[in-house]
Amino acid sequence: MSRRGLCRQDLAWAAFLLVLAAAFGLVKHWPLVNLSFQGKLAAHLEEMRAQRRQVQFQGVRTLNLSQAYELFQKGQSLFIDARKPEEYQELHIAGAVNLSPEKVQRGDNPALTGIAKERQIVVYCGEAHCDIALKVAEKMQALGFTQVAAFLGGFKAWDEAGYPVDTSK
Amino acid sequence: MANRKPKTENRKLNWLLPRVLGVVLGGIFFYAGLQKHFHDWDFAEAVLAYQLAPLWLAGVVAAVLPWVELIAGGMLVAGLKRRSCLLLLALLTASFLVVLTVTLARGLKIDCGCGLFFQRQVGVLALLEDLVFLVWAGGLYWWELKAVSSKQ
Repeated sequence: MSRRGLCRQDLAWAAFLLVLAAAFGLVKHWPLVNLSFQGKLAAHLEEMRAQRRQVQFQGVRTLNLSQAYELFQKGQSLFIDARKPEEYQELHIAGAVNLSPEKVQRGDNPALTGIAKERQIVVYCGEAHCDIALKVAEKMQALGFTQVAAFLGGFKAWDEAGYPVDTSK
Repeated sequence: MANRKPKTENRKLNWLLPRVLGVVLGGIFFYAGLQKHFHDWDFAEAVLAYQLAPLWLAGVVAAVLPWVELIAGGMLVAGLKRRSCLLLLALLTASFLVVLTVTLARGLKIDCGCGLFFQRQVGVLALLEDLVFLVWAGGLYWWELKAVSSKQ
């Protein structure tokens, strides 16, 4: 058989394997596919995430966009950006300080010891899907900070709302 | 007589190397498929985050893609229909390369859904890794095709 003939044969088998994979996938994950067809997948995933967070981050106070903005306007709260330093440098909530999860792991970190334990703190990460803000807030609570809350919408929601941002570049 | 031994060794290497490379590649994709299969809802979330597929299709992608990796990877490890599996994996990685490039260009900072052992963001590293897999699968396919057609 010529090289072209072999290629055609390989492609035909590859197409067959693809059909086989599609059949297995659709049958095995039918609940997921069905929800997707009904247009309810995103809402269902959101619900699952909220349930998981309730269990995983029990006791961590959370804020929505308007609550976070209200605290920002009062000017008393310290906003902590838990994203990577390069993301923070690019753009962050005006006045926020960068404190990644690694820095919070060490309780004697100078970045942490300089903050009063009773200060109102708002932690945020990139967007609603990320758990880093909750992790940092949980860790800070464990370190004795009494008024920590995680802003769940993250920087994306803040930026899309057109609220004040700043750059370190 | 003196030249025979190296030729035999060469032939052995030509037979063994593609098989070993195929088994390793197949193993990687089989493992990746297994991860996605067992964490299907997490993977669906990762697919949705790309904001490329319409909502109704995101679920189909999340359901089918792990099985493409499982079947192609598993069969490659088992040595069944090796060239077709390689072709399928090359197609998969090429498509993912386009998706990653578009996502990078759009500036989305999302989990790539492609981390084997830990979560990773879409970035240059993920792009390079995918490129390596594409060259690996494509190159191996070409090698095996050449070997078979030269025999016939």
